[in-house]
Amino acid sequence: MTLSEKSTRQRLAGFVTRASGARAAVIVALEPMSGGAVQENWALDVEIDGKLRRWVLRTDATATVRESLTRAQEFAVLKVAHEARVLAPEPLFLCDDPAVTGRLFFIMERLPGVAAGHKLTRDSKLVPDGRGLARELAANLARLHRITRARAGLEFLPTMLARDCIAHYRSYLDTLSRAYPALEWGLRWCEINAPQREDTTLVHRDYRTGNYLVHDGRLAGVLDWEFTAFGNPLEDIGWFCARCWRFARPDLEAGGIAGLGDFVAEYEQVSGHRVMPGDLRYWQVMAHVRWAIIALQQVERHLSGTQRSLELALTGHVIGQIELEILNLTEVP
Amino acid sequence: MNDRPDAQDLLEIAYDTFATEVLPAVPEGLRYTALMIANAMAIAQRGLAAGDTALRDEHWRLSGLLSENAAAPRDEGLREAVEGYNRRLANEIRAGRFDGEGRAAMLGHLRRTTEEKLAVSNPKALVDPGDNRQEATADKRR
Repeated sequence: MTLSEKSTRQRLAGFVTRASGARAAVIVALEPMSGGAVQENWALDVEIDGKLRRWVLRTDATATVRESLTRAQEFAVLKVAHEARVLAPEPLFLCDDPAVTGRLFFIMERLPGVAAGHKLTRDSKLVPDGRGLARELAANLARLHRITRARAGLEFLPTMLARDCIAHYRSYLDTLSRAYPALEWGLRWCEINAPQREDTTLVHRDYRTGNYLVHDGRLAGVLDWEFTAFGNPLEDIGWFCARCWRFARPDLEAGGIAGLGDFVAEYEQVSGHRVMPGDLRYWQVMAHVRWAIIALQQVERHLSGTQRSLELALTGHVIGQIELEILNLTEVP
Repeated sequence: MNDRPDAQDLLEIAYDTFATEVLPAVPEGLRYTALMIANAMAIAQRGLAAGDTALRDEHWRLSGLLSENAAAPRDEGLREAVEGYNRRLANEIRAGRFDGEGRAAMLGHLRRTTEEKLAVSNPKALVDPGDNRQEATADKRR
């Protein structure tokens, strides 16, 4: 049972008709979208009672990754974010009946725009006003960070504050056959310098250039909510500003699209919380440690034979750069 | 004994031919894959050329940091010895034994080791810190 089969498409059309309360739904197009090592995205065009809708059907890929949410959980997270006016694709229908396509999936709005980081950081036609875009991203992030556990429900999400992150990354390193002293140092530095008190809000945990769509030079929406958790809002800021996500413009600290000033000022104004230089440095170190851990997980998928892939294999050779960045950030006490 | 040219020479001429003759003619849809192939060949070539000099140096530095004075073993033994030392160093860093005295020596060693790795993985990261070459793999999920 695959989405390319005619019978599957017929069942899918039936599901869409029921879920949308339409009289008739006709599937006009259903094509796999590029990208998405973890989830499979399909561009789905449906004609509902004569009106064309452009959607994305999001389903689990064959290779699942530790730590990512199920489709049902991601759907719930998107609903909460969308209701809080965070720019993101609107979640429409969740299907938990495996008889439809064989796998659980949900349907969301398909936003226009470009996400590729190497394009957005290079092409000024795509981003004519980087500072304006950085402010939009900051305000959007601040709206996300207004969502607290009490407000959101989402009981299934873990809480990952600084010390939880450290323990989690160490436990992963302990499963590997080789030791990584530079990453251990990064974690030790994070432990020594861990914040005394932390706010806890909804955090995206992959809020960065490459994971949002820009359309007509403006932010259309943030994608990839599969790593969402409750945690320290500063983690998202450190991740967004970390050098590893600046692509072609490592000199532009706010995601390779603008300097830090506009991003932080707008975030502070909308959120009402200060971002201190020390916070930024701390969460950039944590960001690089985390990116190294994710890279190691990707290499493991190649090495173990779970998913042999040149792309995953080459990820092993970015570890040195991440380690160098950790050393650059932590050498001065 | 294998016929010449050896693995390193073959890889080098295969890479040069690929980069100068194939890469410019690759259609847009395959360009990213072709760049990854070129990158993998270049890393493999530099790795073969580097031999085990860096591994010997790492062993020597690690034995100093961990107050050991065992001579570096040969061949496979050397890799195992370095892995064992690295495991010990990692544990001691985690336990805080390099927080104070010894911190500068430990950091010096980590930087040296990282630079030696980068000489094989991505030499551009050493000479030009402005060039962010992680992007080729960093953007994979979009």
